[in-house]
Amino acid sequence: MNIQIVGTVEYVDIGTGAWAIAADSDQQYEILQPAPSELLQDGLKVSVTATIRDDVMSMAMLGDIIEVIDFQVL
Amino acid sequence: MKKFLLCCLFFAGLFWALSNYQGLAVNGKYDSMVLNFRDSLSPAQVDRELKAIASKYGIEPKFNSAFSKGDNLYIVKGDAQVLEQFKQSEELRNLTEYVEANYVYSMEFLDSTTPNDPRYNEQWNLKAIEVEKAWQKTKGKGIVVAVIDTGVSRVEDLKNTNFVKGYDFVNDREDASDDNGHGTHVAGTIAQSTNNNFGVAGVAYEASIMPLKVLSGSGGGTISDIAEAIIFAADNGANVINMSLGGGGESKLMQEAIDYAYKKGVVIVAAAGNSNRNAAFYPARYPKVIAVSATSATGEKAPYSNYGAGVDVAAPGGAIARGKDGDSAGGILQNTIDPSTKQSVFRAFQGTSMASPHVAGVVALIEASGVKDPEKVFQILKQSSRKVSDDTLNYYGAGHLNAAAAVNIASQGQLGIPDFLKWARDNGYLSPRFWVDGGAVALIPKLIMVIGSYLLAILLNRWFPFRWNWAFSNGVFFGGAGLFFLRGFYVFDITQLPFRIAGSSLAELGNAFSNTNALNPITASVLLPLGLLLILLGHPQWKWFAIGSAIGTSACLATSAVLAPQMMWIGEGSPAIAFLSVNSLLCFGFAYLSIKSETATI
Repeated sequence: MNIQIVGTVEYVDIGTGAWAIAADSDQQYEILQPAPSELLQDGLKVSVTATIRDDVMSMAMLGDIIEVIDFQVL
Repeated sequence: MKKFLLCCLFFAGLFWALSNYQGLAVNGKYDSMVLNFRDSLSPAQVDRELKAIASKYGIEPKFNSAFSKGDNLYIVKGDAQVLEQFKQSEELRNLTEYVEANYVYSMEFLDSTTPNDPRYNEQWNLKAIEVEKAWQKTKGKGIVVAVIDTGVSRVEDLKNTNFVKGYDFVNDREDASDDNGHGTHVAGTIAQSTNNNFGVAGVAYEASIMPLKVLSGSGGGTISDIAEAIIFAADNGANVINMSLGGGGESKLMQEAIDYAYKKGVVIVAAAGNSNRNAAFYPARYPKVIAVSATSATGEKAPYSNYGAGVDVAAPGGAIARGKDGDSAGGILQNTIDPSTKQSVFRAFQGTSMASPHVAGVVALIEASGVKDPEKVFQILKQSSRKVSDDTLNYYGAGHLNAAAAVNIASQGQLGIPDFLKWARDNGYLSPRFWVDGGAVALIPKLIMVIGSYLLAILLNRWFPFRWNWAFSNGVFFGGAGLFFLRGFYVFDITQLPFRIAGSSLAELGNAFSNTNALNPITASVLLPLGLLLILLGHPQWKWFAIGSAIGTSACLATSAVLAPQMMWIGEGSPAIAFLSVNSLLCFGFAYLSIKSETATI
């Protein structure tokens, strides 16, 4: 199920570190790795097309884990 | 003859060892000494003396405190050598009440469980859960903790830690090494090699780690891998499972795996999650799993930590202030790997991932204390946690994790040999010094008495050969010294009297009751041996006991006359010496006569 997320990419210093998108809706989504390196830049404003992967768990536990399908830098 | 020589050598050696034995009294540490000048001295005299000391030894005596003036109490820096010189100085001896070492008393003398790991003092998290007190009872020996994570690498500070066989479900192989750093760090909190003079400490450092890799190098993993790992752990003897991982999705597969493990008696602990949500993530959220929220060094809920629904207990997870470069003092410090270089490094992390292994470690301590049933373990955690009042949003669950209280409850009613040994050690019974120290037994005179009496006996044996028998030996022994080592026996709570009586020679029986060292003239004389001789001379075996006791008493009295002529009613000095000497001779005389008559008839 694809969703659209608009927000800011941020590096979260939890555990060994993880990447998330702080959505404008105040929700936090964890970016499933591997993800394109162009996306992984702290502070980048993006619009992302992604799937929520509820068959996956992570050590960061930042929120719903999303697999990025496509993204646009804003 | 050879036996005799060997005996002599033995006693000579014993002598030498004993005379060098220092005992507890002189074992203190000090770097200064006390000079207590006589109160009768005038300030001017004291002043003069102090100046003399200052110029002669180059050190400056000072008042100990504002209250020392009245007592003329001075402290001077110096070591054992200087102390000796002071003690030898005639002048000082005349002017002071005493000169002695200023021993330093410290808390370290008391039994301590503080580990020697150099960076232990950075581990505020271990102090927060009071783990040192728990270590007095157990360190988790024999308990297996499965770490379901990114794998565990055997870094330097895990070298002494026990590992059992694990598995890598991500790459389908047996080597479950870490390629991220997360799993190794978590394993470190549970069982970092402790007291190895390196790095940091872990909560249950005598427990074993079962490394199960289900998360990739980038930190994500599938539910199927995780579920299989849970089953693997349960099937391979794990007592505890730690899952510092989570996600939003409920899964039947995982639920079944958890139920399976729970039924097999495995306690499952998981992190609550790091998105500051008012519900724990799965698997922590499951009722059969202990969900752990994270606290900072101040004890407050960490800003990132989930709370609310499903949270069972709170443990240190750390909170590292953002933007402060290199300042990770608020984090949890353990040994892990740097994923890019694969080198062993020390890193401080924050997260409910760090909080969960604290609980897993404490669960290992609880299990090692004898409580293994998951439900009971859960109860103990709830009972022992430090409650937080007014926790309306359930930040902390049952409260702050407390290892000491948990182990206390778990080990109640389960006293075993370790507890007995600990009790004995705490009360001093296990220390040989305790039994023999305090100068409670004047050992050297005693040995002289023993040897002396045997020498006398041998002497008489030469002149009048008789068959040396058991009764005779006993007589000599009890006449000469008795079971003298018993006199040093101190069992705290019971009266020492029985030991003193058993440890007395015949001559000393008189003062065993009154517990002084002064000999009682009635018993420390020829009377007792003479009495024994008269009573026992008719009996074929026991007369030898009487004769032996006469010899022993003779030696005992002679030794006392020379070394410690202290008597009741007669006092010290020449009268005592005379009394003892005369009686000693009389004893010997009677023994001589008895043996002569005995051997004459043979």
